[in-house]
Amino acid sequence: MVVKTDRPGSIAPTLTRRGFVKMGGALMVSFQFPALSAVAAEAPPGAATTHLVSWLEIRQDNTILVRTGRTEIGTGMSAYYAQVIAEELSVRPESITLLMGDTDRTPDGGYSAGLLSGAANLRKVGAYTYQALLGLAAEKLRVPVSALTVDDGVVSGTGKSLRYGQLVQDQQLDLKIPVSGVPARVDPTSWIRIAGLDGLIVLGDPPTKPVTQYKVVGKSHPMPGIPDKVTGKTQWSCDVTLPGMLHARMIRPATLGSTLISVGALDKTRFPTAQVITKQNLVAVLSPNEWEATSAARSVASATKWTEWSGLPGSENLTQTLRSYKWGAPSESRGKAADVNAALAHASKTISATYEQPYIKHAPIGPFVAVADVRGDGTTTVWTHSANSQGLRAQIANTLSVPIEKVVVRWLDHAGQFGRTTFGGDGAEGDAAILSQLAGKPVRVQWTLQDDLAWSASSPGWVEDITCSLDGRGCVTALHSGFYSPQSNDARIVGAILAGMPGIQPEAGYWIATEWPYDKIENRLEEAYGMPNLGADSSTIGMRGLIMRTPGQRQQNFALESLMNEAASCAGIDPIQFRLLHTTDQRLIDIIHATARAAAWEPRSSPHPGARRTGAGPVAGRGVAIMIRENSYWMGIAEVEVTPETGAVLVTKLTLGLDCGKIINPRQLERCMKSGVVMGVSEALKEEVVFDKGKITSTSWSRYKILTMAEMPEVKVVQLSRDDKGFGGGSEGANAVCPPAIAAAFFDATGVNARRIPLTPAYVTTLLKGQPAVRP
Amino acid sequence: MADPLTLSLNGAQHLVSASPDTPLLYVLRNELKLSGPRMGCGIAQCGACAVLVDGAEVRSCIAPLSSVVGKQVITIEGLAQLWAKKKGLGDTQAASTLHPVQQAWIDEQVPQCGYCQSGMIIAAVELLDRNPNPTLPQIKDAFTNKPPSPHLCRCGTYAAIIDAVQLAAKSMNA
Repeated sequence: MVVKTDRPGSIAPTLTRRGFVKMGGALMVSFQFPALSAVAAEAPPGAATTHLVSWLEIRQDNTILVRTGRTEIGTGMSAYYAQVIAEELSVRPESITLLMGDTDRTPDGGYSAGLLSGAANLRKVGAYTYQALLGLAAEKLRVPVSALTVDDGVVSGTGKSLRYGQLVQDQQLDLKIPVSGVPARVDPTSWIRIAGLDGLIVLGDPPTKPVTQYKVVGKSHPMPGIPDKVTGKTQWSCDVTLPGMLHARMIRPATLGSTLISVGALDKTRFPTAQVITKQNLVAVLSPNEWEATSAARSVASATKWTEWSGLPGSENLTQTLRSYKWGAPSESRGKAADVNAALAHASKTISATYEQPYIKHAPIGPFVAVADVRGDGTTTVWTHSANSQGLRAQIANTLSVPIEKVVVRWLDHAGQFGRTTFGGDGAEGDAAILSQLAGKPVRVQWTLQDDLAWSASSPGWVEDITCSLDGRGCVTALHSGFYSPQSNDARIVGAILAGMPGIQPEAGYWIATEWPYDKIENRLEEAYGMPNLGADSSTIGMRGLIMRTPGQRQQNFALESLMNEAASCAGIDPIQFRLLHTTDQRLIDIIHATARAAAWEPRSSPHPGARRTGAGPVAGRGVAIMIRENSYWMGIAEVEVTPETGAVLVTKLTLGLDCGKIINPRQLERCMKSGVVMGVSEALKEEVVFDKGKITSTSWSRYKILTMAEMPEVKVVQLSRDDKGFGGGSEGANAVCPPAIAAAFFDATGVNARRIPLTPAYVTTLLKGQPAVRP
Repeated sequence: MADPLTLSLNGAQHLVSASPDTPLLYVLRNELKLSGPRMGCGIAQCGACAVLVDGAEVRSCIAPLSSVVGKQVITIEGLAQLWAKKKGLGDTQAASTLHPVQQAWIDEQVPQCGYCQSGMIIAAVELLDRNPNPTLPQIKDAFTNKPPSPHLCRCGTYAAIIDAVQLAAKSMNA
């Protein structure tokens, strides 16, 4: 039987009854590549067979299983996804069980930070399924679809009603929905060398529930995993144990530039069950006993010899090194070069500044950990907390040289990673898989904090030159920005590099991440320049660069918003008023006004009349920054106290406004906004990767400092929800809005521009002593 | 191999075979199969591994097994029972009761990734035991300045933790 839905054309879903069963009837929703789609023609052989698992199952007992390759990364996806699909199906979110991230049990793949594409997918999956369920109900109840209503999984029409479970009772039903996209695979032509970052995308435009009728989306449903996390019931990726499993600790050189001279001896009398495994520069100590592995690794490491490598400039020389690098053409350029150059050349007033930031770290509380079981026939299972299981699977298969069909990646909760596994690389998974292949046993690899802070990729330091011209009214007439940074897409697996096994080669380059907020600045030219990893002619060695929360836009927004604040001051205009002069975007205008009201903002120009750079006691200031990203409009107001004598900067209050379209879960969004502020303040005040000429030296929490509770400001959150603007991203963003607002507040307090973060006491002291102050 | 040591954990006695120098965290996770306390920094700088030893917060990643023999070790798995005992609840009631701190962590929706939260909960239980009505500065101080290190959360849940500690204080004093 085939029930035709009302969708015409080649991408119509099909509902097929496979047969009747005595027990356990279900509707299984999976996908098909449309026969005529160009994308389908490009799909590699085996694409369909590697993914024959359902997206959604509606079972006879009225339970609903939703499977997604996206995962919970600590921002609330497990709540949002369940709500979005529950809404389309008209059921309670509690009736939905989410299965996330396992490559053999989820269909779609994709990177986990992509709420928008993930939610759009599940919304359509839900909508297609809902239509199919209506069709089944119409058939069973013998009433037209138009006469049916659904409430909490009960379909009613002309006085009769059926639960979803009854619609599928004793039947096996298959709904195939159309998708495009390619499954993840190693692909040297892709910019990150892994194809399929977005996973599969559902095609077509099934009728979705009008937002005005929403009952589930927009309510603060609780996050599903929390009770287990606070009672110790959650099984984390670090908890996986397998029979015969060995614990491994890695012995690393100082950096990728060093090579192994000799491995230290293992004292078998002290460590009787430990063994050392070496493959080129990959060295590990393994033992059935984790403490023995740890102790033996320390002992072996102290006697292991490596060649010296010193290709880094030292973190104190980073900016100078970036400045002197011979940049080629921009890797991306946007805007009107001729108009901008002409406008800047003829302007009566221009403002130019250079902004900079050091390398920073994702720095999760739990270092990388993974378990791998590689069998003699190549069958491989990896347990991970990667944010892109399918991408990781592709890389593991490539490194081990086994067919991708033989590799399964299973996902479990672990520490939030903030984008470092978005491309499916990096981490302990490669070490574990390689060691398991060599040892012939399951291997669990636990990186230490020192391993993690030294060996995981970092978000690269950068420099941006930015210039604008002002007219007589103080309005920006043209703007030119040049962003310079080492590349940030080195998603290579560390173990594969060290062991000399197949891997990917990252491409040098950068991109313009800014979503332009100032439509009244028509003449603009944005350029982004990328280089290989710092300290390397090609991206083989050196400081590995990788994206991190709000990638690219965090960096570029700091420069843009800082320049706008400097321009406002130069024009003698209140910084909020100054922004309103440069946009007609009503969503931006609304969130600016709402946030300003919440912070009781009183218009005046910066710096504060009482600004000072010397003297006893703290001096207060305030500053603003905005950003548009992923259909979300952000506005931040920072209030700070600077103590000139000590160079200490305390953020006392941060008011953060957000319009992210239709808010899915206000409470979880508030949690994400407040916690995003913590990372933003941390980046503004504290975070800096320190390295010498050979290696990263900030390899503990006392050297790589992040914000503590005592340093956290009072945070006030403003949310605007809109029914007519779709969903927007809410968990990135905050960390990008805070730093320029804090830098502006510093200027407001002191009259001294802060063009570099972090604003550490040492840097602030230098700034206050050195730079000429702007007169209030 | 040395003779087995006896460890008092969450109200029960366990014979453990690990060597006395093994950090308590390794014993709890690998031998006693608890997943509450977690490996963070391994050098007592983050708090993810915190447990209670005779009521005081201890970083189990550096505390050798020998240092806790003869003492009462409590992890988040044992908090409900600890509370039930304190309140003199019967078995049935105890089975369905959480420690007020855990309940507050659920009610205030504290965990994001949740990795550090076991240690945060332990720190909160210890704080509320010492100080049933902590002020905001006292809460911030307890999670930041108490040796050996601040309790770190990279997701940035500090505001939620403060809310939850205050809620737990209220319900424990009720």
